[in-house]
Amino acid sequence: MTEDQIYAAIVEIISQTLDDKGLDVPEITPATEVLGDELGIDSLDLATLVSELEKKIGFDPFAKGFIEFKTVGELTKLYVR
Amino acid sequence: MRHVIVTGGSRGLGAVMIEGLLADGYRVSTCSRKKTDNIARLEAHPEYGPYFFWQACEVGEADQVDAFVEAAVAWAGDDGLWGLVNNAGVAQAGILASFPNVESERIIKINLLGTIQMARAASKVMLAQKPSENQGGRIINISSIIGTRGYNGLSAYSASKAGVDGFSRALARELGRRQITVNSVAPGYVATEMSSTLSPSQLKQIVGRTPLGRLADEDDILNAVRFFLSDGARMITGQTLIIDGGIST
Ligand SMILES: NC(=O)c1ccc[n+]([C@@H]2O[C@H](COP(=O)([O-])OP(=O)(O)OC[C@H]3O[C@@H](n4cnc5c(N)ncnc54)[C@H](OP(=O)(O)O)[C@@H]3O)[C@@H](O)[C@H]2O)c1
Repeated sequence: MTEDQIYAAIVEIISQTLDDKGLDVPEITPATEVLGDELGIDSLDLATLVSELEKKIGFDPFAKGFIEFKTVGELTKLYVR
Repeated sequence: MRHVIVTGGSRGLGAVMIEGLLADGYRVSTCSRKKTDNIARLEAHPEYGPYFFWQACEVGEADQVDAFVEAAVAWAGDDGLWGLVNNAGVAQAGILASFPNVESERIIKINLLGTIQMARAASKVMLAQKPSENQGGRIINISSIIGTRGYNGLSAYSASKAGVDGFSRALARELGRRQITVNSVAPGYVATEMSSTLSPSQLKQIVGRTPLGRLADEDDILNAVRFFLSDGARMITGQTLIIDGGIST
C-alpha cells in the first residue's frame, strides 16, 4: 500500500468509528491528533484501529514496543515500508 | 458457525472441551506442543474433521502464539473468531525454598504470560471484526481454586492462576464496550494427568472435605465453558466461576 492509500484507510476507519459512536465526523487532516479532543477517539478505538490496519496492511508497527505518535500523519508514516 | 480457539486441547480438560464444543456445532481450533493420537483421531473424524484445526504452538512464546492465532483465523475464513479458551497450563509442586527459579519462570511464562499473549492476539481479531460480522466475543481463562485459596507446595502455580483471575477482571473492563466478555473458570481438583501427583490419601481427604462428595470431572468444567460461550452469558464479565463441589466455600 502507498502512503496515500494508508492515509485514506486510516481516515476511513476513524470516520466510521466516529459515525458508529454517533459523533460528528470533523475534517481530518494529517495534522489532526488521533487521541486529541477534536476527534473523540479513545484508547479502545485506537486499539481497534490498529487491529483493523493490521488486518488490511499485514503488520503491526507496535508489535515490538511502543512508538510515540500524535497525529494522523505520524500514524500513517509508521505503516509505510 | 462460531469459531472457538481452545489452547492445550491434546489431552486432559482441553481434550474434553474440544470434543464437546465440536459436538455442540462450534468450529474448533486448538494447539499443543505435541500432537497426540486424540488430535489425529479428530482430524480424521468424518463428522468433526472438517471443523477441526490443530497446529503445534508453544504457549508462552509470543511469536508462536501470534502465528497460531493467525493460522487458525485464516483457516476459519468468514467465521472469524467468536471465542478463546485459555486452557493450556502446567503445574509443578515443590516447597519454594528448594524450588528451582527456572521452574517458577516456566510456570509463570506458560500459565500467565501465555494467557496474556493469546488474549492479545485473539482480542485483536475480535476488535477488527465488523459489528455486522461477528459481534462481540468471549474470552475464558482457566484458572484454579489454588489461585484463590493457595496450596502447600504450589506457590508459583498459585501466583500464576491468581494473576490469570486479575487479568480477566482488568481485560473485562477494557473490552466490555465491544461486547467481548472475559471470565475465569476456576476448577477444583479434576482427575487428569496434571493432578495425578496427588496421593490416594490426599485425594480421599479432598473428596471428604467436598460438600458434593466427589472430584469434578472434565464435563463439569466443559459445561461452565459452554455457558460462558453462550449468548445467555452475555451480561456476565470479569467473574471467576469456581467449580469445586463447594470445597472452597
Ligand atoms: N487437573 C486439575 O485438577 C486442574 C485443576 C484446576 C485447574 N486446572 C487447569 O486446567 C487446565 C488444563 O489442565 P489439565 O489438567 O487438563 O492438564 P494436562 O492434562 O496436563 O493438559 C495440559 C494441556 O496443555 C497443553 N500445554 C501445556 N503447556 C503448553 C504450552 N506451553 N503450549 C501449548 N500447550 C501446552 C498440553 O499439551 P503439550 O504438553 O503437548 O503442550 C495439554 O494439551 C490448566 O490450565 C490447569 O492449570 C486443572
